Amino acid sequence: MIALHWPSIRGRARADLGPLLLVALVVAAVVLLAGATPPLIRSTSDDATREAVRRAADDAAVRVEAEWPDDYGPTGGRLRTPELAIDVANVGTRAEGELDESLRSALQPPVTSVSSISLAITDGSVQRRLQLEYLSTATGEPAVTWVAGRAPGASTDDEFREIPLNGPPWPVQVGLSETDAAALGVKPGDRIPVQDEQRNPYDVRVTGVFRPADVNDPVWGPAPWVLQPAANRDGFGSTRFGALLTAESVPDARLAFRTDQLRRVVRFDADPAGLTWEKAQALAASVARLKGGSAVSAERDPSLKWSTQLDNVLSDLRDQIASTTAQASVLLIAVLAVALLVIALAADLLTHRRTGALTTARHRGASLPGLATELAVESLAVTVPAALLGLALAFVLAGGAALTWVVPFVVVVVCALPAFGTLAAARATRDRRAPANRSARHWIRRTEVIRRFAVDAAVVALAAASLVALRQRGVGSTVDLPAAAPALGALAVTLLVARLLPLGTGLALRLALRSRRPLALFGAARAAAASSRALPALTLTAALALGSFALTLYATADRGLAEGAWQTTGADARLDLSSGSGSGSADDVAARAAAAPGVRHVVAAQVTENAQFIADNTAVPARLIVVDTAAFRELLADTPLPGLPALPTATDGGPVPALVRTGDGSLSPGVRFSLPVVTNQAIALTAAGTAPALGSGDDVVVIDAGAAGPEYEPNTIWATGPGAADALRKAAPGDRVTVRADLLHDRRTAPLTEGLSRLCLLTAGILLALGLLGFALAAAASAPQRWETLARLRTLGLRPRDTRRVAVGELLPPVVVAALCAPPLGALLGWLTLGPLALRLLTAQATDPVTVTPWWTITVVTVVALAVALPAIVAVEASSRRRRRLSEVLRVGG
Amino acid sequence: MSEALLSVRGVNRTFGAGPAAVHALRDVSFDVEPGTMVALVGRSGSGKTTLLNVIGGLDRPDSGTVVVDGLDLGGLDEDGLSRLRRERVSYIFQTFGLIPVLSAAENVGVPLRLARAAPAEREQRVALLLDLVGLADHAQQRPGELSGGQQQRVAIARALAASPRLLIADEPTGQLDAETGLAVMALLRGVVESEGVTAVVATHDPVMMALADRVVHIADGHVTP
Repeated sequence: MIALHWPSIRGRARADLGPLLLVALVVAAVVLLAGATPPLIRSTSDDATREAVRRAADDAAVRVEAEWPDDYGPTGGRLRTPELAIDVANVGTRAEGELDESLRSALQPPVTSVSSISLAITDGSVQRRLQLEYLSTATGEPAVTWVAGRAPGASTDDEFREIPLNGPPWPVQVGLSETDAAALGVKPGDRIPVQDEQRNPYDVRVTGVFRPADVNDPVWGPAPWVLQPAANRDGFGSTRFGALLTAESVPDARLAFRTDQLRRVVRFDADPAGLTWEKAQALAASVARLKGGSAVSAERDPSLKWSTQLDNVLSDLRDQIASTTAQASVLLIAVLAVALLVIALAADLLTHRRTGALTTARHRGASLPGLATELAVESLAVTVPAALLGLALAFVLAGGAALTWVVPFVVVVVCALPAFGTLAAARATRDRRAPANRSARHWIRRTEVIRRFAVDAAVVALAAASLVALRQRGVGSTVDLPAAAPALGALAVTLLVARLLPLGTGLALRLALRSRRPLALFGAARAAAASSRALPALTLTAALALGSFALTLYATADRGLAEGAWQTTGADARLDLSSGSGSGSADDVAARAAAAPGVRHVVAAQVTENAQFIADNTAVPARLIVVDTAAFRELLADTPLPGLPALPTATDGGPVPALVRTGDGSLSPGVRFSLPVVTNQAIALTAAGTAPALGSGDDVVVIDAGAAGPEYEPNTIWATGPGAADALRKAAPGDRVTVRADLLHDRRTAPLTEGLSRLCLLTAGILLALGLLGFALAAAASAPQRWETLARLRTLGLRPRDTRRVAVGELLPPVVVAALCAPPLGALLGWLTLGPLALRLLTAQATDPVTVTPWWTITVVTVVALAVALPAIVAVEASSRRRRRLSEVLRVGG
Repeated sequence: MSEALLSVRGVNRTFGAGPAAVHALRDVSFDVEPGTMVALVGRSGSGKTTLLNVIGGLDRPDSGTVVVDGLDLGGLDEDGLSRLRRERVSYIFQTFGLIPVLSAAENVGVPLRLARAAPAEREQRVALLLDLVGLADHAQQRPGELSGGQQQRVAIARALAASPRLLIADEPTGQLDAETGLAVMALLRGVVESEGVTAVVATHDPVMMALADRVVHIADGHVTP
């Protein structure tokens, strides 16, 4: 049974109250950070989930489609179904019934639609398309006011009429919105001349023009073109219009179109409110299950077919959250590693202060297990309350606390303090003397060197393994080796540098011996004597290097966001023209914008997202930009975006030259490919050069507007200059203007990026503070010996004021090593590890951002911090000894 | 009788205050003639070290005067005391107090560096002193490579480097075995004679007492003839 000597425990704690409180402070701060970060990541992920689903809007909607049952009548014709709207509503009810509870709670009430194929309007305008739409919700059809004519009705009085299969086009009554009607130039009573791809005509009759009661009513969500014409929905250069069907006219639409030309779809918009990342993951699983159960069949199958991009949206989000979590893990491990080094220095300080007392206790009969238990009790008394305080603060500040990181950290701290003390007591009282035999002493030294080398080699090997693992498989969602790569890398490199430090101080000493300045010699001599301790230099340099890494991560992400905003916008501001807006032609809008003050360049272009090119009989989707390339080149030169190579002039009858860029290399310079267009034959193209990365995706094709022919109809205007945003807004008041600065602000303040940025800065600050604290603790541990030596030098005639300079000289090596090595090491770690951390997922760039090291910030912060800390520590040490006489210092030490 | 190199008059030194006060020195007065070696003898805690500290200017007495080589230490500020230690007074400690990363020769040369001696002069003096203490062959060895007795010899050579007038040694053989201690004592006696220096040596070693020109006893802070 181990007996504890409580007076000794209390006495030691009282004597070392300051260092113990410092340990408690470090434990509380680190536990706060380590405990609060996971819940903060979780809540940030929840915010990001809601934000992503809200922004995805149309892509996040869940769609259910059911094929029509046969409608053959008794005589072999097609039978009109007057209750078709009710049948369609029933599909919605069935779909809702198939949703599990988690999915239903995450989705808004369904909107049911019946949509025709896209028909070409044959009024001479080759690029206009018409789609018939029936829309309804549980509360009925959308509320509209018929400003002209009447609502569409049935085309026949015979509700159950059967029509022949090959009869003339069956008439369908439709309504048009005011905007669509004006753009098409039709009025009630007019017919809209339309035909399908096989040039089959359809009889579409306008019975009324309506005004929606609420343009924001979710019922319009599936078919916004019913309210406003939509550009490029049906391919390059097209504009889609929508015609509204009613419950009375939709049975006629069923007869007017073949079964495969009319789709009935139930759409559930996602409801981001109340959505969390955890729920979203369950949601993604439910959606995947529903989609997986929707087998594609060649047979007519009235069962429900589920489709949505929600799982892809959530998959992208999962990647972003994984990337953020990985970066947070990397930063957290860095803090924990440095905090443990600081704790080791604190334990070393306590050991220095207690060696005498512990040795005396041993001489008086205390056993090592007994001393270890007493020190463990003290350690528990300091560490556990501090950890609980940190956890409580984490609960208050973050709404929760995670123990994943906290428990191992606290366990190591609890063990470190008694381990250091017990080892010191054991060393001080063991009955082992240095052997008199020189070769035996040499062998002991060699064994020590080999042991140290083995430890160093193990750390270096572990760091290398973690780096390789990080570059090969990235960081997982759990605590794993790759996440420790930067911390281990910093420790390994710093350890090697610390091992080389005695060589440097030895060299400095040799130089000082040649010098005639005694202070330089004394400083160098003390530095050489102290440099055999690797821990101070290791802690300070690793802390500052990892702090530099955190700032590098911050700067790289920030620059990446800025470049991503440039790529997405393409200029200072971008205008997306809608076909039906009253802003006039794109050229007019561009001219008005160019004339506005503060605008340097304006370029109009036709941009088609996901244009389908054909290369080598394979469809290649890419962003198509048709633009005046000369003007575009000038505009790009006014931005940080890469320049536009020159395009050769198109030859008569030859393929149109294009600049291409595809992520998978399917389009590369020299390749011939084509672009099918709606009404004409395909446009033949030849890849004449490499296009710069423009837009969020990596696939882009640029052709000159002069070569595009009649298909060229600009829908996008880019502008640069301080007045670009205002100019575009004024030039086209009704259209959407994307302002790069606003986009950048939105992305910077997005939950994940903002959270990561704050964590980077916080981590850098904490690491700097920990590094300086570790340095101060190391200085405090060596202070008694330092000042005793200085006192002895004073007995030889050293002046009191010169002692500070010698003390500074002794403490200088770790500071110099940190100042010289930490910034480049931080940059090196960033260069090695930021790629696998997939920052591009947060910066919305097509490729990984280039590593940006804020050299000035890092250098200034490092140099200023060290330049202030070093003299401050020496001043405090000198001040605390000012009242002590030289004799006192020599009698009791430091 | 020549003028005293060291004159101590009515020196008192008390540590602490009130009932817990420790009177380390009580009205201590004595003189030391130049070129003599005085053994300061007393039991542990008798005030030997305190008296040496006061004599060497490492501590200031509460009252009384200490005059070294004509200089009243009470009138010297810290810089003055530093100059005194650099030019006139040297110390030899029980724990040697050598700089571990410097060789024996470099350690001996430290006071000469502080005195801004020319390198050639310094090297010559160091060689002479190492020869004097019998360590000419160990000049390039570091303290860790020397025995305790050798280290104390280096400390003696260092103490003599700046040609002090007064040598103060506090238990210089305290950490040495009897044989080595005797050799060190003999060396001290020898250098006092050869260098013409005055020495005050705190000791309770009877051999040292026998080697001294004079023995001053101290007990409970009082000096007794």
